Amino acid sequence: MNDAAKKRLVLVGLSVGCLALAGAFLLDLWGRPVSLEPILPVDPIFTNTATVRVSGAELVRTGGDASGLDCYTCHDKQKRIVLHFDAQQNIILSDAHKDLTMGHGRHNRNNHCFNCHDETNLELLQTRDGRELKLLESSPLCGSCHGPTLRDWEAGAHGRKNGFWSAAAGPFQRQNCVSCHDPHAPKFPPQQPAPRPHPLRPGGVKADESAKAH
Amino acid sequence: MTEPSTPLRQPLDAPMNRRNFLRSTAALTAGFAGLAASLAPLRELKDFTSVDEFMQKYYKELTPAEMARVLKRIEDQVQREYGLRPHVRDLKPLDGVEFVYCLNLTRCIGCRKCVHACVAENNLSRNPEIQYIRVLRMPHGSIDMEKAEHNYSPASVPEKGYFYMPVQCQQCQNPPCVKVCPVHATWQEKDGITVIDYDWCIGCRYCEAACPYWARRFNFTKPTVPKDQLNPEMAYLGNRPRRQGVMEKCHFCIQRTRAGRYPACLEVCPTGARKFGNILDPNSEVSYILRSKRVFIQLKEELGTVPRFFYYFDV
Repeated sequence: MNDAAKKRLVLVGLSVGCLALAGAFLLDLWGRPVSLEPILPVDPIFTNTATVRVSGAELVRTGGDASGLDCYTCHDKQKRIVLHFDAQQNIILSDAHKDLTMGHGRHNRNNHCFNCHDETNLELLQTRDGRELKLLESSPLCGSCHGPTLRDWEAGAHGRKNGFWSAAAGPFQRQNCVSCHDPHAPKFPPQQPAPRPHPLRPGGVKADESAKAH
Repeated sequence: MTEPSTPLRQPLDAPMNRRNFLRSTAALTAGFAGLAASLAPLRELKDFTSVDEFMQKYYKELTPAEMARVLKRIEDQVQREYGLRPHVRDLKPLDGVEFVYCLNLTRCIGCRKCVHACVAENNLSRNPEIQYIRVLRMPHGSIDMEKAEHNYSPASVPEKGYFYMPVQCQQCQNPPCVKVCPVHATWQEKDGITVIDYDWCIGCRYCEAACPYWARRFNFTKPTVPKDQLNPEMAYLGNRPRRQGVMEKCHFCIQRTRAGRYPACLEVCPTGARKFGNILDPNSEVSYILRSKRVFIQLKEELGTVPRFFYYFDV
């Protein structure tokens, strides 16, 4: 083959190559990201800033059904309340109070209504040192035993504090103890976790090999 | 050129005849078509950058009037793209304020609500997913990153025998990411927040490599944010929509915190494990915590990055 033929072959080859490349670009044969696996929008419960439970005070404030807070629709003001305990000293709840979980502390010594409620007036709470508190203003009662926690709470270090960090810019809201803790079973309830992160690459990290990835 | 008889071997200066004309026209047309087609990838560059954006000066050199024009340009762009007029501000650091974050490891239950509140607040890409906060689950007993797991997904948290440690930008006092940036697109502001100018970032990802906390995220694609979920309250150095090819990271919700509010991750935390405030104010909760709590670690303290993010325990 002579020089001219070679040259021509190279030129034709180049042209064909360039045209093929152009066609490939037009058809987007590569260089496009593979289609990503769809990611479901996250459930709005996971971006909701509400507290985990609704306290009685909050229920009254927002105009909810607070009839369950009126003790004397069922109880008789004149009649003394008698508590019943089983052989293990666990309190036996009446049917009307079956919705309560009695689990204050890791032992059952605190599962006694009148450690906190006033047996002579059910609309009041009583602290161990004899103070009387309204049913919906319970935080000092909790603080009468949980002193360091109350101190942290007052400093803003325990519990939720929302709104503005800067007093100059606006107010902050602090939650009461019972907005997060059930007074009868105060351990913070387990929560459903929000979805785990999705891998950046499609099919990147599978759930089963996730233990190795970090 | 020993046998000049075949037409293919016609010299270039051959006389113009019908055959030569058609041939060269065909070749020329094919050539232009090929050129146009090979430039096809450039079609994606439409709306890539406006002249204003291209000519924009460095953030620290912008005069207030120029900044106002930039903010208006961003608002126009967002409105064109999302059909919603945002409120973009250039919030400056406040005097006498240095932000510090404290996270109570005793209280964190690993529910990841902070992760998703952050995504919603900061207009992070939903798919591919970009998240500033990573919640690590570690077995009780020590803080061992080798045993950390962030893909946990049980039915309910906390799980027995584990604790949870959310990690996000630590806002270091000695930030390695700032040192490696070749174009000064990221720097530390005087209130302690390390910020990124998304218009100045060239996307080299050096900062991502330098960060020992895996706090920086790169936009490999154009971020996707559903139009109805765009947060219109934006800041220039904060949650305004990013381009493809720039870095981003936690900026302590600059659009909220420089306006006096708490960051979104703190607002949503159900247990109150997250605490934020001004360390220069002795009455702030973060001052109280650093004074009176067992502030156990600054993460990877030995690296000398001096984080402004403290993990602590209740006694």
